[in-house]
Amino acid sequence: MPSEISIHDLHFSYPSTPSSLPRFRVLKGIDLEVERGEFISIMGPTGVGKTTLCLALNGIVPRSTGGTIKGEVVVAGLDTRQHPVPELASWVGIVFQDPESQFFNMTVEDEVAFGPESLGLDPREIRERVDWALTMVGMSQHRHRSPFQLSGGEKQRVAIASILAMTPRILVLDEPTSGLDPIGKAEVFRVVRELKQREQMTIVMVEQESEKIAEFSDRVVVLHDGKVALVDTPDKVFAQVELMHEIGLAVPQVSELAHLFNTRRNTRYSFISLEGAHQVLTRSRSENAQHVICNTTNESSSTSSGHHRLKTEPCIVTEDLWYSYNGEVTALRGIDLEIEDGDYVAVIGQNGSGKTTLVKHFNGLLKPTRGRVLVKPATRNLQPATLKDTTDLTVGQLAQTVGYVFQNPDHQIFCATTREELAFGPRNLGLPEAEVRRRVEEALARFDLEEYADIPPAVLGYGLRRKIGVAAVYSMRPRIFILDEPTAGLDWRGTMELMELIGEMHREGHTIILITHDMKLVAEFSQKCLVLREGRVLAYDDTRAVFKHSKVLRETQIEPPQITALAKQMAPYGMPDDVLSVGEFYAAYCGRFWDELQL
Amino acid sequence: MSFSFDLYVQRRSWLHAVDPRVKLAFVFLGTVLMLTFKNLLIMLLSLVVTHLIIFSAGVPDHKVKWVWKAMLPINILIPVLWVIFYPEGPTVLFQFWFVKVTALSVVRGVSLALRLDAIAFICFTWLFTTDQASLVRSLVKLGLPFEWGLVLAIGLRYIPTFYGLYTVVSEAQQARALDLTKGNFFTRVRSYLPILVAMMISALRTSEKLARAMESRALGLPGVKRTCRRDIRFRPADYVYTALLIVLFSLLLTLRFRFGLGTHPLYLF
Repeated sequence: MPSEISIHDLHFSYPSTPSSLPRFRVLKGIDLEVERGEFISIMGPTGVGKTTLCLALNGIVPRSTGGTIKGEVVVAGLDTRQHPVPELASWVGIVFQDPESQFFNMTVEDEVAFGPESLGLDPREIRERVDWALTMVGMSQHRHRSPFQLSGGEKQRVAIASILAMTPRILVLDEPTSGLDPIGKAEVFRVVRELKQREQMTIVMVEQESEKIAEFSDRVVVLHDGKVALVDTPDKVFAQVELMHEIGLAVPQVSELAHLFNTRRNTRYSFISLEGAHQVLTRSRSENAQHVICNTTNESSSTSSGHHRLKTEPCIVTEDLWYSYNGEVTALRGIDLEIEDGDYVAVIGQNGSGKTTLVKHFNGLLKPTRGRVLVKPATRNLQPATLKDTTDLTVGQLAQTVGYVFQNPDHQIFCATTREELAFGPRNLGLPEAEVRRRVEEALARFDLEEYADIPPAVLGYGLRRKIGVAAVYSMRPRIFILDEPTAGLDWRGTMELMELIGEMHREGHTIILITHDMKLVAEFSQKCLVLREGRVLAYDDTRAVFKHSKVLRETQIEPPQITALAKQMAPYGMPDDVLSVGEFYAAYCGRFWDELQL
Repeated sequence: MSFSFDLYVQRRSWLHAVDPRVKLAFVFLGTVLMLTFKNLLIMLLSLVVTHLIIFSAGVPDHKVKWVWKAMLPINILIPVLWVIFYPEGPTVLFQFWFVKVTALSVVRGVSLALRLDAIAFICFTWLFTTDQASLVRSLVKLGLPFEWGLVLAIGLRYIPTFYGLYTVVSEAQQARALDLTKGNFFTRVRSYLPILVAMMISALRTSEKLARAMESRALGLPGVKRTCRRDIRFRPADYVYTALLIVLFSLLLTLRFRFGLGTHPLYLF
């Protein structure tokens, strides 16, 4: 049987912009064969060309993007060089990462009908296909709504339906969940699971979530430096923890755990799922209700071990904070909060729970509808600072104290060079030019951006733009740092590097407020955790305590990290129920089963 | 949190059911009429009629308020400028420095502003009650290429999106201590530059993605005639509306040119 997708020695370079820059070679010889009905996941560091590869599958690369291509791509028996994109579209459907910019109709129904209409199908058949596709993704009841008013998960489901309606043989999903909240992610993965089980479709999914990749894929393709570095079944790929980390990619936490056991205890574990790990680790272990207390066996010196800190002064206080947009949508409903100086607070909750609305009050972008927000502004001399109402402070005064890194770096980037970009904030603060220059150079060095200092940031890759966004706020030296999903769209290495930098700033005394959907990061890095739901505080406590009480997380439909869930499931065997990292799990497990492991 | 803002109001009203081509004719003929009349009372009457139409179609108050809010600067600017630069008529209401405020120029200024309001509301009867698909469909039926219709629809669709983008970008730059309230007019205009540049870059990225998404949905498939899930068709009622529209239009036009209706800003004849 011929392959459904056959890529042979594919090279591709984008046309260079501006032309002074060297041509950007993305793909450097890709070979890949995919069988019909296979589920393939593609992993790779940021900027490695995952999206480019997806676009090459339906001919957008190089037909619409321009650039130079070499090699061959054959999909469903069609050579992409010989067929225009709209023709390939009925064979290869692509769901893009950003749900917002793939809609151009006013109702869900019209959106889904658009593809079949382009194919010139009979109106009756179009209606049947629309019904079927919407049922497949569970969006039938929303057919008359505007796609722009849906939640992230719903949008992505509509995007999938609009592709399914063309009944392609191959479905390509380019990071379909990267911008979604936990509920949205779960919704999309549920649909993908359905498709895999019910339809005999060949599916290619680009994803960063290794746990999900392990669950779905028949094979995993790892891209590195424009080439295929690994192609194998998930268990084989995720067993190579060191190689994956070297490339800059994550593996499931249970695979990391297996690796830890294998290197330290000479075991031959290979875990890719929670169930698998649970089965092996509990085999021949007796149940024992006596718990090992995790804190005492805390082997990993994670940054979250701030238990002995003295209580310090609050730097942000909110008192009965209410906020409503246009007097219509109430986003915050009476928030009382104290954030201490030097704290590291993770803010979690589904989209629409009020996370961003809340933190926008901290730097005065929003002013309370009711109640008040107090912030301790920076002082010029060493006078003791006092809390001040944000309504009495100017944008400049607040920006000097509270730095806010926006979710999308492109909303902040506009300068002709990176250096200019970093100087923009300090200049707005009215600092003398010498001081501005000093700060810019320091920020460039700290964020490892020197080689890009004179390049327009807008043409750099996403990971770098992200870093420049953070550096541009860093150069203003705020005491308090707010970061709104800073790691979204970054690979494992980019995430770790950024989290390390944030950790460093925290250790230097900065207060960190981190909005994120990544529970692994919350567990590993934050000291405190603020859980919001529908504009109210559901919990505000030490991160460990929040993860210990799974009720809180369950109430707001947030899944704890895999390793935390595993430990919880193994509680009958005496494992602690507040494990936050792989290292902690390992230590607790060894502590609990030490004698048995000696055997 | 982003708020999408659609012009279209989804309802099942009599006006929503009207064929979009009839509504388009209404917009065209209505605009022509408004441009031929100069009378304050006629403008007011037209506004009352369009408001009745809009409300009868179930358009909520806040949409109507939004239009008035958007028109506010024009409603202030035009009468004021008119009064300052075009004093006419014998009745001087009052005078200060070099400005002579006359009754006639006040009436004329106000009726000019109201004329624009009237035209705006005529257009909004169409935009509020016609969904994008039938809007494009009607334009295509009238002979416009599908792509053109699509471009127009996307243009209308993305106005609110870009407004949302403007809000986010201006907040993002304010977080970097960009003060939009400081300084004189020119410094302020200059300080909007960072926002505009960042918006342009984002808009370019969006448009590129949008183009890819459309191609991936087989737009422009060679050798295939695009079909339509639901076609628009003239119902008996639509013929009645069209006839009514033509009769009214001819009547008003005759009154205007044969009998001089509404040529004076204040008096009907």
